[in-house]
Amino acid sequence: MKYNYVPRVDRKYVGSYEPKIDGKEKAMGRTKFFDDETIKARNPRMLYCSIITCPYANGSIVSMDTSRAEEMEGVRAVIRYDDPELMAMPPTTNSWTDTAITPFHRETVPKWFDRKVLDSRGRFVGDMIGAAVAADTREIADEAIKLIDIKWEVSPPFLDVDEAQEPWAKPLHPEANPGGNQLPHREDLDGGPCVDDIVVDKGDVEKGFAEADAVVEVDETFGGGSTQGTLDFRGCMAEWIDDGIEVWTNHYYADQVRMHLHDMLGLPLAKIRVHNTNCGAHMGKWNMGEQNFFLLSAILSRRTGCPVKYKMNVHEEFAETRTKIRFKLKAGAKKDGTITALYFDGIGNQGAYNGVTGYALTGFMNAEGIPRLFYPVENVRMKSRNYFTNRIPGGVFRSVGNVQQNFPLGQAVDALAEKLDIDPIVIYKKSFGNSYDPQPNASVAAVLDAAAEEFGWSRRHKTDEGPLIDGYKKRGMGMTLHNQWHAEWQENERGRIETSIRVNPDLSVILNAPTKETGAGGNSAAVMACADNLSFLGTTPQDIKWVSEGDTEMGLRDCPPTDSVVSFILSECIVGAALDVKRQFIERASEMMNIDGELLDIKDGVIYKKTEPWVNIQAKDVMMEDDCVPITGCNVRNNNKTITGIGYGAWFAEVEVDTETGKVTVLDLVIANDVGQVMHASGAESQQIGGVFIGMGETLTEEIFYDRKTGTPLNVNYIDYKMLTMADVPPVSPMLLEVWKGASEYGACGLAESTPTGASTAIANAVYNAVGIRIPQVPFSPERILEGLARKAVKEGQND
Amino acid sequence: MNKDNIKLCINGRDYRLTVGKDFEVEETLSTVLRERLGFTGVRVSCNQGACGACTVLINGKSALSCMMLAVEADGCDITTIEGIAADDPVIEAFANETDHGYGTAMQCGFCTPGFVLETKSLLADNPHPSDEEIREALSGHVCRCGVYQGIEHAVHKVSRAVKEGE
Repeated sequence: MKYNYVPRVDRKYVGSYEPKIDGKEKAMGRTKFFDDETIKARNPRMLYCSIITCPYANGSIVSMDTSRAEEMEGVRAVIRYDDPELMAMPPTTNSWTDTAITPFHRETVPKWFDRKVLDSRGRFVGDMIGAAVAADTREIADEAIKLIDIKWEVSPPFLDVDEAQEPWAKPLHPEANPGGNQLPHREDLDGGPCVDDIVVDKGDVEKGFAEADAVVEVDETFGGGSTQGTLDFRGCMAEWIDDGIEVWTNHYYADQVRMHLHDMLGLPLAKIRVHNTNCGAHMGKWNMGEQNFFLLSAILSRRTGCPVKYKMNVHEEFAETRTKIRFKLKAGAKKDGTITALYFDGIGNQGAYNGVTGYALTGFMNAEGIPRLFYPVENVRMKSRNYFTNRIPGGVFRSVGNVQQNFPLGQAVDALAEKLDIDPIVIYKKSFGNSYDPQPNASVAAVLDAAAEEFGWSRRHKTDEGPLIDGYKKRGMGMTLHNQWHAEWQENERGRIETSIRVNPDLSVILNAPTKETGAGGNSAAVMACADNLSFLGTTPQDIKWVSEGDTEMGLRDCPPTDSVVSFILSECIVGAALDVKRQFIERASEMMNIDGELLDIKDGVIYKKTEPWVNIQAKDVMMEDDCVPITGCNVRNNNKTITGIGYGAWFAEVEVDTETGKVTVLDLVIANDVGQVMHASGAESQQIGGVFIGMGETLTEEIFYDRKTGTPLNVNYIDYKMLTMADVPPVSPMLLEVWKGASEYGACGLAESTPTGASTAIANAVYNAVGIRIPQVPFSPERILEGLARKAVKEGQND
Repeated sequence: MNKDNIKLCINGRDYRLTVGKDFEVEETLSTVLRERLGFTGVRVSCNQGACGACTVLINGKSALSCMMLAVEADGCDITTIEGIAADDPVIEAFANETDHGYGTAMQCGFCTPGFVLETKSLLADNPHPSDEEIREALSGHVCRCGVYQGIEHAVHKVSRAVKEGE
């Protein structure tokens, strides 16, 4: 890679290329995950919980006989959907997200209470409903589930939006819409008829199209086929002790689990203790409502008097996809690259429950698109509607919403550029930016220019005009642009952040910057920031112990590792905690030296009189000669709501298309992200590299297939669902920029969440550049490529 | 395979295990290593031989411990990640990968023990693998965080270090 990241501000540790603070323990297998903490050998009384997963895509329990399961040897308890305790619980939601403290807490995303803790109706194959069992072993629990006799009423499944509108497709959620399967938008909740959900109307799109020199239309569908696919499956172990409960889990947000159990079980918060261990990546999956297993394990524990463990199996772990959204997009532009109008018509297929599809369609377009991505475009209309179907629910998957938006938009820009015979980069520079920064946007220009230079964009040939390699392969290049992730939004929504720094008598440090380490690396970034902010003590990252286990009883409230926010928001809080440490050192030294604290300062571990530096005392001596009580600096930082605009990211890809087999091979990827402040350079680059591979996998290979007749997903396992391995990936050039600057000390924005966003679009545009076809939906399987080539051949034949 | 007792040499120490008492005959090697003996560095994810997380060394060669019964390993030398020294060059290379342009060699760390042991197995056979050979050897492992570039670079660095040391 030719490009070198040069920090805007020279800091000792923040922004540096340092090893991960937990690299050694991870390499040595010492990191403890949930399943490691809850092995039977350590918890001999532990029982295992298993829950019925609906075998039908659209089936209701008419009657259920659990007697054979209850009589099975080794079964300790069975809980049914018609249990009075469960019946008394309010419905919950499938969009239990990072910034909501509990489903009932406050409005962060549109809330739909469309999910019961244990329902009698299954809405997709794999829906956890009906009954749960606690038994001595997992095998017995699974066998007992099979012994439950159920009489089902099975209705024909519908997987697609068109089918969902047929008269035979009975409403999946009559509580939301008794008349059909379209999700009512907020105003319709009072019972009015569903209408298309007009989200945004800015300017006059018709006038805008009339002024355009070129108008293009694309029709692209993204999502519905991919899943987070992380290796550490979700679960919990709950143990009821006297009148309280203790829970171990790999959930990313201990406090949210605690609050949820409080809401649903009515326990005082002080009686609920939640420990969260490391989590083997999450990619968004913990945002969903399948956490009914917390409640079921808790109730089964109370009824059996034993700890109860639930852990998803591979099929259950796969029961979440990226929300499927089809966008029909019309775009017009003038010869100079100014976009005159954009018209989005979005159709969501959210599957069985409303995760955040509605939000991905409406909120993301509205909150992200206009103010932060294509603000200079004067005429925009966005329309969307959204349907329940019997597919696996669309949930939160890294780059949620944005990737579905970028996929049609970036291809429309590419098509406009071709029609106008200009470089798409010209269009981005003219018409992309945000409502806060001056136009042309410096960040947009910086990432595009840097990435284009690194990639060698000037080498790109015109569509389908590249040489034929070996007689049957063609190469092409594509690119796109999107905004970085959620800096201000996170600042606005996260609420207060707590951190503490405890300096021991030997000046070693215990840092409590609580977040669950899922691979996001917020722990490494926090340690770098802590070392920089304790430079007055001469602290290095090696002196700092980061508190790794979340514990709602012992620790501070944790900050969930989502939206890439933990890379910077904890560090912003650490600044204040370190100042508190400094204040206390000077206070103690002032007493010992009998000098007014105003006259003292501290540098490199020495407290000295500002006017007479030779009058001084070592910080270590302050600790040792006093009572050896550690100094604990605390900070609770509230949101900084200063509006600062946002940075941008650019993605460039080169592909080779085998025109005989339809195989697409990615040869080169460049990703450039302006993040304001790089917190940990090695970690940031690894997020760029890993993130584009998530996008590349979704574009080329990852797809859950359904049996159309029964609605059964056919390949929800690691053999038949194709994820990328080392043999499949091209070299990636990860480029870090600091052009935009947010508020506060560091002024960073998120990185990791955004990294998959443009990978798919860049690859799609590269495929078009190579062979002149646009594939209407991901993944670009060989079949779809060959179909596209055949369509093109027919069209060319007609033209001839 | 009708055995009441088996002997496993795990990380240099002998374990004699009795069926029905210490383990059940239908249990996989990964279950016995993790649940019975507490070697939790052996990670189990897919449990169907597709992800590589449960990799251990059996008589020095990499093997998927979720795909064999414990009784099948009777008499074998087994190395789990717990048996690899902290200063092992492969451990060091994975832990310290920070080179500009390559990122790190792990993020969440769940799959890392499998990659480390596969690398040990590869380098034992082939101390100086080519790019292609590294990719081929490690392609049976899924790293969902996707840090393949850092991992490949780390393996190259160990291999170069071995070469220089020779």
